[in-house]
Amino acid sequence: MTAFTPSPAHGVTRRALLRGGLAGAGLLALAACRSAADTAASPAAGGSAGPRSGGVLTVGTGIDFTPGLLFAQSANTLVQRLVFNTLTRYDDQLRPQPELATSWQVAPDGRSVTLKLREDVRFHGGRRFTADDVVFAVKNLQNPARSAQLRATAAAVTDFRKNGDFELTLILAHPVSNLFDLFEFMIIPDSATVEDAVAGTKLIGTGPFTFTERRPGSSLTFARNPDYWNPGRPHLDGVEIRVIPQAESLLSSLRTGQTHLSYNVRGKDVATLRNDPLFRIKQYDTGAGAYYIGANLTAEHVGDKRVRQAIAWAIDRDRFLQQALGGYGTISSIPWPKSSPAYREADATRYHHDPDRARALLKEAGVGPITLPFAHSAEPGATAVAQILQYDLQQVGIQTVLQPTDSPTMQKQLISQSMPALWTLSHGFAQLQPATLAVSAYPFNEAKNSSHFSSPAYTDVVQKAWNRPDSDSPEAKALHQQITEILLDESFVIDLAIAGLIEVAGSKVRGADLNKFGYLNLDDAFLTA
Amino acid sequence: MTTTAALSRSGARSRNRYLTGLLTWRGLTGLALVGVVALAGLLAPLLSGTDPNAQGPLALAGPGAEHPFGTDDLGRDLFARVLHGIGTDLSIILLAVPAGALLGCACALLAASSRWADLAVQRVFDLLLSFPGLILGLAVTAVLGPGRWTVALVIAIAEVPYFGRQLRAGILVQREREYAVAARVGGATRSRVLLRHVLPNAVDPLIVQTAVALSVGVFIEGALSFLGLGVRPPEPTLGSILSQSVAYLATDPAFAAGPLAATTALVLGFTLVAEALNRGIRR
Amino acid sequence: MRTFLLKRLPSGLLILLLASFLVFLILRLIPGDPATTLAGPDATPATVDAIRTQLGLDQPLFSQYVHWLGHLLTGDLGPSYAIGGQVSDLIGNGLAATVQLTLGALLLVVLLALPLAVLGATTRHRAVAATVQAVTTAVLAVPPFVTGVLLVLLFAVTLGLLPAGGHESLLDAPDLAVQYLLMPALCLALPSAAVLARYLKNGIDRALGEDYVRTATALGVSRRRILWQHALPNALPPAVTVLGLQIGQLIAGAVLVERIFAWPGLGQLIEQGVLRRDYPVVQDLLLLVVAGYVAVQLLTDLAYAWLDPRVRWE
Repeated sequence: MTAFTPSPAHGVTRRALLRGGLAGAGLLALAACRSAADTAASPAAGGSAGPRSGGVLTVGTGIDFTPGLLFAQSANTLVQRLVFNTLTRYDDQLRPQPELATSWQVAPDGRSVTLKLREDVRFHGGRRFTADDVVFAVKNLQNPARSAQLRATAAAVTDFRKNGDFELTLILAHPVSNLFDLFEFMIIPDSATVEDAVAGTKLIGTGPFTFTERRPGSSLTFARNPDYWNPGRPHLDGVEIRVIPQAESLLSSLRTGQTHLSYNVRGKDVATLRNDPLFRIKQYDTGAGAYYIGANLTAEHVGDKRVRQAIAWAIDRDRFLQQALGGYGTISSIPWPKSSPAYREADATRYHHDPDRARALLKEAGVGPITLPFAHSAEPGATAVAQILQYDLQQVGIQTVLQPTDSPTMQKQLISQSMPALWTLSHGFAQLQPATLAVSAYPFNEAKNSSHFSSPAYTDVVQKAWNRPDSDSPEAKALHQQITEILLDESFVIDLAIAGLIEVAGSKVRGADLNKFGYLNLDDAFLTA
Repeated sequence: MTTTAALSRSGARSRNRYLTGLLTWRGLTGLALVGVVALAGLLAPLLSGTDPNAQGPLALAGPGAEHPFGTDDLGRDLFARVLHGIGTDLSIILLAVPAGALLGCACALLAASSRWADLAVQRVFDLLLSFPGLILGLAVTAVLGPGRWTVALVIAIAEVPYFGRQLRAGILVQREREYAVAARVGGATRSRVLLRHVLPNAVDPLIVQTAVALSVGVFIEGALSFLGLGVRPPEPTLGSILSQSVAYLATDPAFAAGPLAATTALVLGFTLVAEALNRGIRR
Repeated sequence: MRTFLLKRLPSGLLILLLASFLVFLILRLIPGDPATTLAGPDATPATVDAIRTQLGLDQPLFSQYVHWLGHLLTGDLGPSYAIGGQVSDLIGNGLAATVQLTLGALLLVVLLALPLAVLGATTRHRAVAATVQAVTTAVLAVPPFVTGVLLVLLFAVTLGLLPAGGHESLLDAPDLAVQYLLMPALCLALPSAAVLARYLKNGIDRALGEDYVRTATALGVSRRRILWQHALPNALPPAVTVLGLQIGQLIAGAVLVERIFAWPGLGQLIEQGVLRRDYPVVQDLLLLVVAGYVAVQLLTDLAYAWLDPRVRWE
């Protein structure tokens, strides 16, 4: 009976509830007259000529910021130069320009450097910036827990001599040729809040923007620093970094104007925007890292140099560039991008697609048909890369079994030198002084690398190139050339192509820039009306 | 004696009901869809002479005489890849779903053996159900590494509680029916009643569940591929081709057409078969 | 009702304890640990060891487990290892986003399923009924990640009506939040709506075929009245159970949908947590998901009892 007719009272209540719910939904829909689809595009009022003040710039990135890696080169380096400053800043020819340091003097023997610092700089909390902050920044990078790649260079600083609050001499254990790489890399944090910074709760620096909020996995927001030392800068009222992990979604977000600027658009997606007047596309000569095949020399077959060279000849780098990178980048047998002092065209094209030569080398090495494990990162782009390489290797008689690996597992194997016979990844640190690559990038490290490669000749030439005060004299250049020769001959890291570092900007964005470590510099950026 | 007779009659009747269910337009359409797709997958080497993994410079070409479905971003023939992908998908789900079903049923039978076992098994089902399938996939893949077996394992584990719960409910209902009570009174042992009398009468919903599970299996494979946890490349699967094509939906929609059609037809077929069987049973 | 709850609670707690053990163990079985993620790609083994000691990962497993449970009981979830920030904040924010998404989807499920089911069950035109059937079947046959991308291409890129992805808090800017919510919620809701619509339609069909309906029709009661007062109330209770099961599906589907629409919910957090081996985040979060499931099951049973007076609080 109860099942037959529920009491009328109940019936009404439930129906009323339903109606109420519908009405509520309707109200919400009515309230939605403001459009979220074009909020980012709506400009604030401003002048017509010259840089316009105001507006919030939205930057899209595929990977969230990891606070624990604030002092390291990580996958997201957009934050560093917004909140912080560095001592100096390279121009296009790798010549240092003043930032927090106004001038510098390297001793003739290269064993010390004296810096003069700006006197009008304040941290976001209001405290004055002095030489003590530089001392702290160097010591901070010497701490292994900060995982700074340039720790070797920071560790070469053995003592500090202050001359007043704004002059400082760093004493070095030996001359280092990549000293200004360190000054380009090292952000100057507030010493009192550095632990909060690596925990991601508070970021205090001297930079053009103050950190306002972080929503992990979603966004980071920054507001204009009204007391910035660079007069009239920044033009923008604020910056929002949006984390959009799915590549297609990032592209859609740019297309709809929800995001103004991104450095994480895949080359093959950029190709689809190339002719769109709504976007301005700029390539940086530094490149976004180099794709390479690594070989573990303790594994079977690839311990033989000829097999590794055969792999270098087997890859069709042109097809790789077109299909994996959408044509954005340059093919290269060497790690150096065009902006590097060690770059030479003849070296970059040393290896090209020559399957017959690869087969001949394999035959010479006495290697029949072989099957090798081949690790790669599990994300879609890297999976496509690995499949292209796998196919080319198969054509010369090297079968591979792909091993999709997630990044912590890959890192663990890299660090513990337990990589399979072959792997593919990309590496950075070639866009700087050449010595930095061989002392700071793990694949190339002369003392200990993932390939288990070591040779007295390599160690000797790397140390010579690093332990000297300059990097552009003829002697330095000769040393760089020797490093290149060893890398090409030994092929323990087989470079394939330098990925293009591509800035995709909406037509309103002006003046955005990256430093050599990919730190986003928005001092001069503005949005046109 | 009487119970056995009743049982065999009921068995014949249920087979009949499956058949009447399948012989409706719904069932026949479903069977046809699954049949065509499965056949295409089985006969892949005959239908397409192209190596599904052979790459070429011609990437993202539209459909044409040489490539009926076009080519993917690495210049591979999509027709061959979709056909071989169907084969991979079927081989995974035809392994995983029966395995999940058997495991689930074993658990349900165990649950029927004692009160404590019942409690424990129910909690295990709850636990499995409470982990969303993809999160389970994420964890299992992180531990075992990606590959065909991992995908099969994830699908099987995801199906265990659905089969188990359904059989357990069926057993609870059937156990109290007259014939079961009669058999117990007639002196049959508990396990004999369970296996010989109750079980055959409780499997009806499981047949339907199998068809549903097969369609879910196709989806789980796709979702795992989309998250980069799928079958080891370059082996094609429907899910991996489809998730690859998603990046080109705006510029090269033809890329997605082939794999999407095959996936949809397969899932639709299984769904229709499940519905037809369900209606047949309820009749 | 109290006895009902008392009976169900202990088994719920048992599930939680089992889950905590499993989650803890599975995480440690995954190769690589938070220290490797935090050390970065160019670290030396010494750096990794230093970080491992700092995080207490060099302790025996059992004491790590007990340590974790202890912290859970005091309610102090502690800091995240790799993602940054406090675990409680991370989970709180993610939960808020996912709850918004799931509730939005749930609302859409009901709003879509109810009219469709009623239409399908009451229409006199065969063509309409067949269309309803076809739509609900077709929706189920297209993978959600394809639906999602198609929705973005249509509503965001081509029509420019809705944002392509992202999230705004419902409290800060409700009008914008709704627009951000619409597409992901729809994408998440479609398959569940299809399931519910078909279930509900079958329920109404069955109820309309019952004797009492025929009697009522013979007595001249209007079709609408029969539907709203007799058929629908009888078809609802089993549908609520289906809806309860669908909530689990919605949460599972959220992992995909959140990725496509850059929605910073629990799905993204879990994925990030696993990918970065952020033990505390993943452990606490998975436990929360299990607890949520247990609670939803309980609530579904309660709702069922409320809607169907035949079920008593036993």
